[in-house]
Amino acid sequence: MDYKYIEQLLERYWACETSVEEEQILRAFFRQKEVPAHLLPYKSLFAYEDAAADLHLGEDFDERILAQVERPSVKARRLPMRRRMMPLFKAAAVVAVMLSLGTVAQHSFDRSRQTDYNYDAYQDTYTDPQSAYGTVSEALQIVSESFQKSQVHDSDSVADTAPKQAVQ
Amino acid sequence: MQAINFRNDILPLKDKLFRLALRITMNRAEAEDVVQETMLRVWGRRDEWEGMESVEAYCLTVCRNLAIDRSQLKESQNEELTESNANTPDSADPYSLCVRNEQMALIHRLISGLPEKQRTILQLRDVEGKSYKEIADIVGVSEEQVKVNLFRARQKIKQQYTEINDYGL
Repeated sequence: MDYKYIEQLLERYWACETSVEEEQILRAFFRQKEVPAHLLPYKSLFAYEDAAADLHLGEDFDERILAQVERPSVKARRLPMRRRMMPLFKAAAVVAVMLSLGTVAQHSFDRSRQTDYNYDAYQDTYTDPQSAYGTVSEALQIVSESFQKSQVHDSDSVADTAPKQAVQ
Repeated sequence: MQAINFRNDILPLKDKLFRLALRITMNRAEAEDVVQETMLRVWGRRDEWEGMESVEAYCLTVCRNLAIDRSQLKESQNEELTESNANTPDSADPYSLCVRNEQMALIHRLISGLPEKQRTILQLRDVEGKSYKEIADIVGVSEEQVKVNLFRARQKIKQQYTEINDYGL
């Protein structure tokens, strides 16, 4: 059998000129049982490389790695100030709504006690027109008296201050 | 582009990462730690997966850097050669699985004697079957540099290997 090709390949192998495919051919050649005597020394070299390619990690390695890798990771999330204050804003909004609702409710309850400007709804309190007239004129008398009193008092105080200013 | 899934796309890389880490740290337990840390790092940057050219290359780069860090850290805390350490049984050797006979052990020793960069490149090329471009991406050097390093590594292995075989040195 002609081993020229193999020898040639081997030469180029030592010179690092072989391609990956050609090295595969060499490897396959040295893998067979019968190798010519002059090439025999190299057999164990390639056999060693084959053996070195057959090293494996144990099966439990996968589980160990996956246990570390696939455990749920808790990631810290960066919250902007606005997001962080959101609950406070919400609470404040709720308080504001409650307050305004309260005010509105209070307002509507108070309305019953407020002055009614609808004169048509007024009801008569006196049956006798004469006594009603008397009461009204009495009331008006009191009002006019107090007006007069305050007028006199005002003109007095003006008269009190005017001469003082003149002196000064 | 299809979405990258950790379970389907990243996790299956574990053996590749493990072999690379093992090649650099030369300690099985350390290598396993490195792979685990690599996975977690890559997971931590899952938002950036979509923008990456190759997640695999990224994983390998991270793995290599972590492994180098580890081995440098380890170098400064080498164990003392005391009586108790000298008697540790051979079966605890992390490579006992792949080193099956004398020849294998010899090759393993030769490769372990290479500088880290050459070791890494040899591992990626001859064991994982990566192209020069991929290796350049992972290691972070030019394709030319990858070739130069690979050439030196292969030459050294070949030379030492034939010397020992021919003369029994």
